[in-house]
Amino acid sequence: MGTEELLKRLPTDMGGLPADAIVRSEHDLLPWEKRCHALADVLDFHKIINTEEKRRGVEALGAEMVGKLSYYERWIAAFANILFAKGILSPADLARKMDEVEARWSATGS
Amino acid sequence: MSGPPDHPQHEHPHAPVGADEKPSYYDMMETAVRELLIERGLIGAGEIRRQIEVLDSRTPALGAKVVARAWVDPAFKQRLLADGRKACEEFGISFYDDTELIVLENTETVHNLIVCTLCSCYPRPVLGLPPDWYKLKPYRARAVSEPRAVLAEFGTHIPNGVDIHVSDSTAMVRYLVLPKRPANTETYSEETLAAMVTRDAMIGVVEVAAPTQEVT
Repeated sequence: MGTEELLKRLPTDMGGLPADAIVRSEHDLLPWEKRCHALADVLDFHKIINTEEKRRGVEALGAEMVGKLSYYERWIAAFANILFAKGILSPADLARKMDEVEARWSATGS
Repeated sequence: MSGPPDHPQHEHPHAPVGADEKPSYYDMMETAVRELLIERGLIGAGEIRRQIEVLDSRTPALGAKVVARAWVDPAFKQRLLADGRKACEEFGISFYDDTELIVLENTETVHNLIVCTLCSCYPRPVLGLPPDWYKLKPYRARAVSEPRAVLAEFGTHIPNGVDIHVSDSTAMVRYLVLPKRPANTETYSEETLAAMVTRDAMIGVVEVAAPTQEVT
């Protein structure tokens, strides 16, 4: 198979591709998913990350992550990468903060 | 449950989250990103809370009111078709994003269907958040190439003489379907009509069902 197909079709560009039957799935958002959605909107209001940047950020995760992460998992991963690329946060900042969040849960969770 | 699901289409049913269950990796990442941005003064904590309230306030009932008004008020319908966002704002529905809204009218000769092939763009100010199936590959991939087969999977059969128009949403341009008003509803109040309009009818995957025979 020629590699040119990889250039012509990014993993999110699926219009017109053959696909399975539609399963009419729905779920209520988990609390963190709703927070993630609100965060996306607020980032957009402040012109920190707009909708198109978010979409491209998801695309930039690559086919494997697009396939394996859930919808809001893709969003938060894309936000982190975009914030790194813009120099707003560093990977070290995020790692430190995630450790802190986890430690806080361990201290108060059961 | 933080590991990746093993089936590629994911959208796995999530395990119920109890207060004492350790947050997932991505849950903690969201908290960390948000807190860092708040600490640096780039966003306000109150803004996130307010936006969650805004999201919770948007449901298909809003879109249904717009549709019912368009059915009973021809001048409103004209304004709605001319500029969807402006007409909705005049109707009291605020738009919290920069999107344009194009309202597509179903007629005797045209049936409209909306999709976002690239992602999940959706008229959120008037319908709330999209259902999962709208965001998944089967709908996004097939709606543009075999809309009749897709509609049939929703139990919708559009006669061959009726054209199907599929509109692909973008980050800036969103669509809302104005379904056909069912026959035998001339005496119905605007409120009764609004109660008949479903989310899926405003996406275009179903029609608004005609009322069952009622003695009035």
